[in-house]
Amino acid sequence: MSEIDEAEVDIDPAEDGDGDDVKVEVVKQTGPPGVLRDRYTIRSNQPLPELSTPSADAFVAEDKRDPSRALFGLICKPELPPRVNAMRALKGVSTPGLMQLVEWGPMNWPPAGRQCMTVVYERPGGNRVMTNPRSDVPRIDEYQITKRVIEPLTAALKEMDSRGVPHRSIRPTNLFYADSNGERLAFGDCVSTPPAFDQPVLFETVESGMCTPIARGSGNHTEDFYSLGVTVAFLILGRNPVAGLSDDAILGMKIQQGSYNMLIGDERLPLPMIELLRGLLCDDGDQRWDAEDLDLWLSGRRMSPLQPRGEKRAARGFPFMGKEYFNGRELSQAMAKNWDQAIPPVVEGKLELWLRRAVEDKDKANVVAEVVRMALNSTTDKKSSTDLMLCKVLILLDQAAPIRYKGFNAMPDGFGSALAAVMASRGDTRLLTEIILREVPRLWFEMRGEYQPDNSLMESNFKELRSYLSQTGMGYGLERCLYELNDALPCQSLLLGEEYVVEVKELLPALNVAASKRADGKQIPVDRHIAAFLGARMRSDIDRNLTALSDSNPSVAMMGALNLFAVLQYRLGPESLPGLAAWVGVMIAPIVQGFHGREKRRELEKEVPRMVRKGSVVEIYNLLENSEERVRDEQEFAFAQAQYSAAEEEIKHIITETEERSVEADKIGRQTAAVTGIIVAMITASIVVISAVF
Amino acid sequence: MLRPMAKKISAVDRARAAAAAKKGGSAPAGINRGVVLMVLAALVPFSLPTVVLVGFGMLPTLASWATEKGPNKYAFLCVGGLNFAGVFPYLFSLWFGVHTLDDAFRMLTDPIMLMTAYGCSAIGWGIYAGMPPMVASYLAASSQRRVNNLKAAQKKLIEDWGDEVSKKG
Repeated sequence: MSEIDEAEVDIDPAEDGDGDDVKVEVVKQTGPPGVLRDRYTIRSNQPLPELSTPSADAFVAEDKRDPSRALFGLICKPELPPRVNAMRALKGVSTPGLMQLVEWGPMNWPPAGRQCMTVVYERPGGNRVMTNPRSDVPRIDEYQITKRVIEPLTAALKEMDSRGVPHRSIRPTNLFYADSNGERLAFGDCVSTPPAFDQPVLFETVESGMCTPIARGSGNHTEDFYSLGVTVAFLILGRNPVAGLSDDAILGMKIQQGSYNMLIGDERLPLPMIELLRGLLCDDGDQRWDAEDLDLWLSGRRMSPLQPRGEKRAARGFPFMGKEYFNGRELSQAMAKNWDQAIPPVVEGKLELWLRRAVEDKDKANVVAEVVRMALNSTTDKKSSTDLMLCKVLILLDQAAPIRYKGFNAMPDGFGSALAAVMASRGDTRLLTEIILREVPRLWFEMRGEYQPDNSLMESNFKELRSYLSQTGMGYGLERCLYELNDALPCQSLLLGEEYVVEVKELLPALNVAASKRADGKQIPVDRHIAAFLGARMRSDIDRNLTALSDSNPSVAMMGALNLFAVLQYRLGPESLPGLAAWVGVMIAPIVQGFHGREKRRELEKEVPRMVRKGSVVEIYNLLENSEERVRDEQEFAFAQAQYSAAEEEIKHIITETEERSVEADKIGRQTAAVTGIIVAMITASIVVISAVF
Repeated sequence: MLRPMAKKISAVDRARAAAAAKKGGSAPAGINRGVVLMVLAALVPFSLPTVVLVGFGMLPTLASWATEKGPNKYAFLCVGGLNFAGVFPYLFSLWFGVHTLDDAFRMLTDPIMLMTAYGCSAIGWGIYAGMPPMVASYLAASSQRRVNNLKAAQKKLIEDWGDEVSKKG
């Protein structure tokens, strides 16, 4: 089991593929209610297990302005990154086939003792369509399914398509009767977890099903139509046709037989239904039906059912791990699951031979031979070069498959949520780091062949991530990758305590609140997470500040932090941040000590408390960042040093030159005595002469 | 034929000789000194009493000149000055009294006169002996005062700029 798998044990949906067995057991939670945006009260003592999802618990919610409104709140798990962008897009959207998202936002949730992302929905009129994926579901015949299912759900998907947000949680256990009569169905929540995280493999396309659940990515609407197809098949059949199969078996059957054949098999269905299901369950994303095709179908235009185009079957199987594989997709999936065992047959050329002779694909065989030759001739670490070789070979065998590397399978747009989940659960991030550093996504983009405009953007993003990862300073590293990949992820800094910060403007108020709760004042109010968060979210270039933050001189580091906070307070407010100002005030000692003059220091120490009371980080920064004062201080200090040094020299000279001085004193003494003698003689002579004359 | 070894002359002596030669040679100085001595010798018959009185009265000065060694020979000036101050009143009364050899001898045998002349020279010796230590003490006190002032200035610098001001930049 790979490190990522191990890290995700706690956050994987149910192992048995049931995805969302709705909890029957009622967990009686007590405690005060949570209040979202001062308006919606979430009753922690009134859980709603029938509305809960596998990754979010539901509770009764009340609108203070309209108590009669039937609402419920979903409390997201803190370790999973919710789809904030989807929340923004879907808030207030009212469409027949979609449960209305009324409000969302971080909320202090007393049972968890921290802030949790909360989503408030309008309660559906009826119950969940299917409570257990293995149980039966009320059958809807072909005459009703159009009106009750296809029409409302297609409308919802079109609405979501227009907003650029795929649902990615379409399954019968996430469908609700929108009214008490059960006349209309509506999709349930899709924003409380990463895209398709709770989806069982059965409801995901082959490619998405191959992914580690957390790393499926938001994908696009074709995946939604596939899930809709599986859901419609359930509803028409009135049961789960593959209830007893494991995820691996389901995936294998999808690859071998195609999704339609696996689900419908020999069931006898009316032709329009066959047409609909073949279109929706088409394994080729390009051919799969979309909203336009559904509209045509609904308007009565009938088309010939899509026929599955399976991969060419090899003349003989490729033996691997005690089983024979007859196509590249199936084989690559098996090899991806047994990474270390897959390397020897590839290196020994058995795969090349199989491709050349059994599959008769000489081009692919030649590429595999070249990839293997390059890996064997590589001068770098053998293990890493063979890992990269296998990665390339797997891409060649199945170009539609996700990025597969040492047991971690991810769509490029699912990499961010995987990283977020691993970091939130304090898991081992080495494999993810390795993938970025070894540029595995680049290989994937290059070797897939087909050009997609989004790919070049993602490729350049991964290149940027690599450069961030190769820098170790504050604001870079894996933390920076985390925030660059998840543009709606809250800041994970421990300094923020329970505060939930998604946008830059929320950071200073959160730090201000966190400051008042802190006992330890020795920690600078910026850590790697906050620096990376700002680096990723701030529109202006703050590289200079980030470099300063990593400086070994605490004064420079603190000044960098102060500059960042001052800019944020100046641009985004609020005007007064007494808590943060006090925190900063305690930490500015190194900056004050950066001034040499004691008088200046005293002056600053006297001024800062006034600004702390005012809560102005901007003024503190302006006071401390006075370059003229700093230059003058430096110059005067240099002059003072010179004065001190000169005095020291003179004292040393006076003390050490006693011998010379005594010689000098002797000479001067004698000269003085001689002069005295001469003067006395002259005076005496003068007196004698004068007295004789007068 | 081997030449007799020339007497070794030090570099200092050679430099002195060169300097003297530059000045015009030692001959004129010797002539001047000889002329002075001859003039003085010629005056001796006319002022023998004075010579006797000065000769005997100023003996301490002669002794101080003769006995003092070293580079700073100022004792004869100090002792001589005071010695002359002691002798001069008697010399003056000799000049303006009876300028005879008898009177000169009479004065010389006068203990008061001898006490005055030699006492003054003794005072001169005292001054000469006491002045260098006094000057040394004065200089030492002056140096100490300077050191104290400098240390006070340094202390003020430390108060204004902290201990780091004492570290060389």
